[in-house]
Amino acid sequence: MMTLMRHDQQMDESFYKILEIRHLTGNAFSIKLPKARFAFKAGQHISLGIVGGNQSREYSIYSGENEENLEVLIKEVQNGYFTPQLRRLKIGRMLEIHGPFGKFGMEREKAEKGKFVFIASGTGIAPFRSIIRTYPNIDYTLIHGVKTLEEAYDSHEYEKGRYVLCTSREKTGDYHGRLTGYLKTCTFAPDTQFDLCGNSEMIFDALEILKGKGFSRDQIHCEVYF
Amino acid sequence: MAFKTLGCRLNQYETDALVTDFSQAGYELVDYNESPDVVIVNTCTVTNQSDHKSRSVISQAARKAKNAVVVVTGCMANNFKEKLESQENITFVVENSRKSSILTLVDAHFSGEIAHPDQLPQDVFRYEPVRKSLHTRSAVKIQDGCDNFCTFCIIPMVRGNAVSRPVADVLESIRKTVDNGFKEIVITGVNIGRYSDGDTRFEDLLAQILEVPGDFRVRISSLEPDGFGPDFVKLFAHPKLMPHLHLCLQSGSDKTLLRMRRMYDVEQFRKTVTQFRAVYTDFNFTTDIIVGFPGETEEEFGQTLEAIKEFNFSHIHTFKYSVRKGTRAERLENHLPEKVKTERSLQIRDLSVENKIDYFNSFIGKTQDVLVEKVAHGVASGYGEHYIPVRFKLTGAQKNAIHKVRLLERKGDDENCYLLGEVIL
Ligand SMILES: Cc1cc2nc3c(=O)[nH]c(=O)nc-3n(C[C@H](O)[C@H](O)[C@H](O)COP(=O)(O)OP(=O)(O)OC[C@H]3O[C@@H](n4cnc5c(N)ncnc54)[C@H](O)[C@@H]3O)c2cc1C
Repeated sequence: MMTLMRHDQQMDESFYKILEIRHLTGNAFSIKLPKARFAFKAGQHISLGIVGGNQSREYSIYSGENEENLEVLIKEVQNGYFTPQLRRLKIGRMLEIHGPFGKFGMEREKAEKGKFVFIASGTGIAPFRSIIRTYPNIDYTLIHGVKTLEEAYDSHEYEKGRYVLCTSREKTGDYHGRLTGYLKTCTFAPDTQFDLCGNSEMIFDALEILKGKGFSRDQIHCEVYF
Repeated sequence: MAFKTLGCRLNQYETDALVTDFSQAGYELVDYNESPDVVIVNTCTVTNQSDHKSRSVISQAARKAKNAVVVVTGCMANNFKEKLESQENITFVVENSRKSSILTLVDAHFSGEIAHPDQLPQDVFRYEPVRKSLHTRSAVKIQDGCDNFCTFCIIPMVRGNAVSRPVADVLESIRKTVDNGFKEIVITGVNIGRYSDGDTRFEDLLAQILEVPGDFRVRISSLEPDGFGPDFVKLFAHPKLMPHLHLCLQSGSDKTLLRMRRMYDVEQFRKTVTQFRAVYTDFNFTTDIIVGFPGETEEEFGQTLEAIKEFNFSHIHTFKYSVRKGTRAERLENHLPEKVKTERSLQIRDLSVENKIDYFNSFIGKTQDVLVEKVAHGVASGYGEHYIPVRFKLTGAQKNAIHKVRLLERKGDDENCYLLGEVIL
């Protein structure tokens, strides 16, 4: 690996020092890193490892393309291997990053002209925040499925009326129940583009619902986390 | 010097290119039983079984070729670099990205320099066009790496990000390979459908390759089922492009595909197959199927069987799912018992043979242009345009010649069946 030493927070092309940790819920947090020369397209993900560790995991980028820092949103998975270690990290620790990877997201021209419905479960909201912050004028509705209100990560940032929270374990959201229940009640314009992100079961169910409403699979783009 | 190669077509191509490199530098190729001075083992790590095979080939090579320089390269060299470097029976461990410069390393070693593989340049495309006489068919590498991150796959970790070889370089390599006398070229890479050089996508590159002058035909090595448009189908009208695709379905269940992080569904796959067969009715599709992926239910497996019947794959590369350390699938829940995986894989194999027999039978009475790959006891064997194995009698038959052959009957009723024919031209 190449040593650059041109940035005190970035010792190596792939090593980044943690600048900030935001605790969003009891088990979800975001990590901010210096962006430096790291270029990506909103919607892409990185692979992240702890320097000195032997495993890495993929994380969607949570920040916009033009922001000063690179941010990721992480939920600690109970009995998970990597996230409990990540959660214990303190500011100043080094992370190893590779990427960016993936084709999730859209070209600028499409983002500025299209009509989008973003469907996310849990931390699957991450790439959509990056997209929305990158293209502030994008025409979107963001449907976010979580268990409880506290998982509505940074929801105050989204324009009123564009963010729909579905809470399955309490009645605190805009819709009480799974996001797929809400999706069944919706009607969308025929030329809508759908972007789905999160766990594979939610994505499968949502795909079935959208196909059932007559949308073509080519209008639907998916990013599976697990 | 001797070579041992494990794994995929890309590895085979890279070995062929290295053989060419070493031969041009004056090294003599021998079997590794004949006490070579150098042995290069080009390893594979795609499954645990490949690791096992690679390891045993390395120890065998080191044992048989005592005092030889043992170079280990390939995907296992990336995946287990430090471990291999600590082994005393290995002289050099060379990562994939530096594989194309192994000659420089070996030359340096023999001229007494202190050489280290990490000093070699990194270039995944710096391979010589393959010299004739090695095979009848030559691969040309257009792309390397993959960043799809399918949950079962270790390849992104060992081959790295997707990178594409510049168009001009590819065309130059095709020209040289044709000049070297090859009549069939296989377009190879890790995920070739993702080819992208500026505005040139995979289809565009293929169109340019087909326009290279010369008497040769083109095959495409395995392809992921997403990422190409309708123009792709039209390209197959070109007489140089052979009517066969190895299109990797992996599962006939949309749920399983999502758990594998494969972002197409069976309907999209169906659309592709239908588009092709609407134009080229006897188009040959072969595929890869992973059986017993974590969480695969009876119903999901049943959907795979249905898909195999519907798409009429003439051959299925069946992989019984095995945990690959370091992949996401390793951490998925509901891993299936070995017995279930074995039973399911046997069912797929049976179906694959049935399909193959039906497909081969449908060619009886038709003709194929067969490129002769082997001649033994007056019998020539090779593959027709659709990648069907064909044998025929011909006195004075020569390797690398193309003959028009009428197909008369099928021989064998198992995986290794073939068609027997007679030369008409
Ligand atoms: C392209 C991509 C982008 C991703 N982006 C994000 C992201 O932005 N934020 C994020 O938190 N995660 C994201 N993930 C998931 C992440 O890579 C890890 O899988 C996750 O952090 C769990 O790691 P672990 O080692 O703790 O769990 P492991 O020990 O690897 O897994 C334990 C179990 O937890 C399940 N699991 C994995 N992820 C989750 C989850 N988020 N919630 C509940 N169960 C889970 C696994 O299927 C497994 O059964 C992404 C995955 C992919 C493929």
